[in-house]
Amino acid sequence: MFALSGVAFLLCLLKKGPLTRETVAHWALLGGLLATPLAILTGINSSPGDGIDNPLLANKLLLSMTSAGLAIGVLVRRKLGGGVDIRHACTGMISVALMLTTAGMGGEYSRNETLLFFIPKETVLIFPIWASVILIILGIVILGKSAIQHRVS
Amino acid sequence: MRIKIALVLLLMVVSTTISTANPGGKGDDIRSRDCAGSCHASSSSNGISSATLGITLPEEVYAGLLMEIVTSVEGVDVSSKNLVGMALLINSEGAKDLPANDGWEVITDPNGGINNYVEISDSFSSQTSVNRSWTLRAPSTPGSYELFLAVQHGSQEGGVAMSGISDSVAVQVLTVPENLPQLSPEWKPINLRMIGEETIITLETLNTDSSTVELKNGAEITIIPVIDGEFTIPAAVNPGTVEWRVILEGEGPAQTSPWFRLTAQTPGWSVDETSLYLQGFALFLLGAGLVLIQRPKEETTDKRYDNTEHVIELDTTVAPINTQPTEVANEGPPLPAEGLPVGWTMEQWKYYGSEHLNNLQGGEVV
Repeated sequence: MFALSGVAFLLCLLKKGPLTRETVAHWALLGGLLATPLAILTGINSSPGDGIDNPLLANKLLLSMTSAGLAIGVLVRRKLGGGVDIRHACTGMISVALMLTTAGMGGEYSRNETLLFFIPKETVLIFPIWASVILIILGIVILGKSAIQHRVS
Repeated sequence: MRIKIALVLLLMVVSTTISTANPGGKGDDIRSRDCAGSCHASSSSNGISSATLGITLPEEVYAGLLMEIVTSVEGVDVSSKNLVGMALLINSEGAKDLPANDGWEVITDPNGGINNYVEISDSFSSQTSVNRSWTLRAPSTPGSYELFLAVQHGSQEGGVAMSGISDSVAVQVLTVPENLPQLSPEWKPINLRMIGEETIITLETLNTDSSTVELKNGAEITIIPVIDGEFTIPAAVNPGTVEWRVILEGEGPAQTSPWFRLTAQTPGWSVDETSLYLQGFALFLLGAGLVLIQRPKEETTDKRYDNTEHVIELDTTVAPINTQPTEVANEGPPLPAEGLPVGWTMEQWKYYGSEHLNNLQGGEVV
């Protein structure tokens, strides 16, 4: 689903291919998002350890949350009538790329194999709690502001 | 076009190779030999390992007591990962073959765990022999038992998973003699510890008057005093394994335990999970917000579909159509000589004057 969405967003960015590319990109992204909780649950069940005891797992969590946020933003923006311009297509592709990277890290965690050698997956950047709280407040403010903008427009 | 795409897809499917192995291993665990696809799929899809496999037993094995066996894997070239999965089993049938089914208990596996399947990374080759020690507790019922060593590994060429199993090794488990100095059946050794921590071990013994502990660190063996059943192993500076054993003396013949392995490891990776979850939630909100707040850029029409200029050109060649409503002066018919009919206004004459004259039939003005 995410891969299909990524290809469709790439076509949107290049303005190539059938006009249905926009529809495919967004519906595939939605399908991938809906399947994500299932992937998380099965991943947890197949994980040999308890809790987050590996930097790969921590990075997986951060990447997947960021990706899910971007994906939901892309879908809601489209639903509210936003056009599929270059920024929109790029954001969709970034969201897909982050989610696929997350999936790849899951494979590395369980099978110790990866093709993503160039990504520093063993390094985890953890903000202090106060920084995260500020970011949450900032996110809520931005979401509120965007909601007002969409209502006005 | 569709046929070409279908042919390409078909070619891709046909060109795939069948490989069911897990090259990175699946980790130590309690596994049957035919581990249902979790290791190397069914043995029917594997190649046959050329390894020479062996199990060395102690001279005497007493029911319910600890013992040490040594397994060897010799003369086999494996994949570039130098990884071999070893499983200690009780039959070669692939079912009900776990040591626990016969009452064996793995006290310490070669990797310091308590599993019957371990993955060993070492210099496996056709010229070398790799030995590993296992500490087991024998079944509590005396009798004849069998042990097998099974291996799973990759091949140098890759692609095919290799599997092999040793011949049966018979084990005669004896009844424990009376008054035999021994470790208590409930006692279990410690297998793991953290670097920098001293380890105090308490021994639980039966029929024992005195005991002595030997600590082997590399080739050096030191004697550690046992006071009130306790002894201390000094802290480790680096990750690694030390081995120790206890010599038990009492009324019966003196007994020497198997070598127990104590592995020092660095503390595992940990993270403040509250911070992590908060940060994840913050990134989620921030990601969604930053996308939603994007103002749409001025829509740039795809030039391929933009015919505006062409339409404008066409527009100039056509005469403009006057769409303005034409103002028609409506002053009404000329007034008769006698002037406006009685009671009429000029406004009424403009609109109804002609009709009035027609009604008069023969009016002066037609």
